[in-house]
Amino acid sequence: MEDDPNRLKKGVSRGEKFEIVVDGKRIDAYEGETVGAAMMAAGFRTLRYSKKKKEPRGIYCGIGLCQECRMVINGVPNTQACKTLATPGCHVEFAQTEIKKGV
Amino acid sequence: MGMAEFVIIGGGPGGISAAIEAAKAGLTVTVLDENDRIGGQIYRQLEKGFKVDDLNIMGKDYKKGLELCRQFEELKGKIIYLNNATVWGIFNNRTIAFARNGSSERLQFEKLLIAAGAYDRPVPFPGWTLPGVLTAGGAQKLVKTERVIPGKKILLAGTGPLQLVLANQLLQAGCEIAAILEAGEIKNNWLKLIKGMWGNWEYMADGLIYLHHIKKAGIPLLRNHIITEARGDNQVEAVVVAKVDKDWRPIFGTKQTIKVDSVCLGYGLVTSSELTSLAECEHEYENAWGGYVPVRTETMETTVQGIYAVGDGARVAGSKVAIEEGRIVGIVIANALGYVSDEKKWVIVKESKKSIDKYNRLRKVLDEISRPRPGLYELAKNETIICRCEDVTFREIHAAMSKEGSKAKDIKRTTRLGMGSCGGRMCGPTIIELLKNKSGSDSRSPENLTPRPPVKPVPIGVLSGE
Repeated sequence: MEDDPNRLKKGVSRGEKFEIVVDGKRIDAYEGETVGAAMMAAGFRTLRYSKKKKEPRGIYCGIGLCQECRMVINGVPNTQACKTLATPGCHVEFAQTEIKKGV
Repeated sequence: MGMAEFVIIGGGPGGISAAIEAAKAGLTVTVLDENDRIGGQIYRQLEKGFKVDDLNIMGKDYKKGLELCRQFEELKGKIIYLNNATVWGIFNNRTIAFARNGSSERLQFEKLLIAAGAYDRPVPFPGWTLPGVLTAGGAQKLVKTERVIPGKKILLAGTGPLQLVLANQLLQAGCEIAAILEAGEIKNNWLKLIKGMWGNWEYMADGLIYLHHIKKAGIPLLRNHIITEARGDNQVEAVVVAKVDKDWRPIFGTKQTIKVDSVCLGYGLVTSSELTSLAECEHEYENAWGGYVPVRTETMETTVQGIYAVGDGARVAGSKVAIEEGRIVGIVIANALGYVSDEKKWVIVKESKKSIDKYNRLRKVLDEISRPRPGLYELAKNETIICRCEDVTFREIHAAMSKEGSKAKDIKRTTRLGMGSCGGRMCGPTIIELLKNKSGSDSRSPENLTPRPPVKPVPIGVLSGE
């Protein structure tokens, strides 16, 4: 499928498909996918901006250690996108709302 | 507070095999796993909802891991498995505290096994914090269990055979790999490699297959090369790579720029030693083994009686070694608590030791090729971030380091390095190497950052409810 090039299709079947809301935009997610993976599939690479320099940061360690993927998920701040499973309709926001680039 | 005769922290290969061995002998084992399902990083199982047609896509070790997980499940009557449990403290060497399902609990143990695992060595260089630059382990998790690719044109940089494994997985996933950079020197080590491989036929066969696929796909495998910089505005758009000398220092005039949208970094693994440190076990430093590692007896006991450590969290040596070490601890503890005879214990210990020796023969050669050289830690420029959580730059750290006799904990105090939410996991290994390289032949230890409870971020509400 051309519109979803970052998800592998060959030899794999996924569960339920639903939408989640990232920074006000609707993106697809599947059952069993983390918020971080759904965002990466949708082309969102920046997950937060650093404390002092406000530099973009994305998934780095990917296994729940580096804390670079902390976002506000369903209103809960400091939630790790790489470990949190996406659920239908869940709301994901950047921690610093004043900078909304999120590319 | 609960009581348990044998508590295992970690649901990876070491923890699983120790649990199986002890439960088979009749012990009741409590396993605390940070993840939702057992397997650890290497045997991480597919998430709910996912099905794959061909298990080979999950990697060769995966099927072996599934078998181990199956044995574990079968012993569920003897194994109390607590998933999503984050151990955040160890007190008086006999009590652990962990957060689970929004509350904190304590558990007293008679014997404890720490099998905390390892993670990719963080290596700071200009641009390493850009989105799109991720660890090899992180990329592997995405591709293997969530079937999402990290990018369309990827550079692999690092050292060691795990890079070849990841390259094969990315190739199978249909990614374009721009190049694979191996920092180490292979050319002068072929003979040693073959000697190390002797008897380790499975590893040898796997390695050759991986290399074959990489060659067939026409991917440049650049030996003695490292990444010196990642460039881009809001995400990585290009990388600068260079040929290096034996100390991994870039050779003048060899730099080239490659356009990529993703970088996977695999400079070997570093141990998660926070828990053994918290338990006040004695540690020694060996960067080829993953940094600070607990000092252990022949049967994997640390310097604190009754506390054992196995697997990559105790010395990075791979899953096969972790499984054997786990078996040893399982049977040794079963014996100590009176469940099996000395005779039976020694049969298993000897058997496992023999396998470990065989694996470690190869490991030693690989370690010699891949252990980080000083040049790797000279890539950071003044403005390069060393501590990701607190945005501490190399300039600040350099200033703090220039004070005579400064140790890791002094730098932590003056710069806030290691005080953020990752608990020093990302900057700790770097600061130790920087201090080591600074003191040159100085044998004095820079000393590890001292982890304090909670060693992992735990919501304050959970802690206060204790």
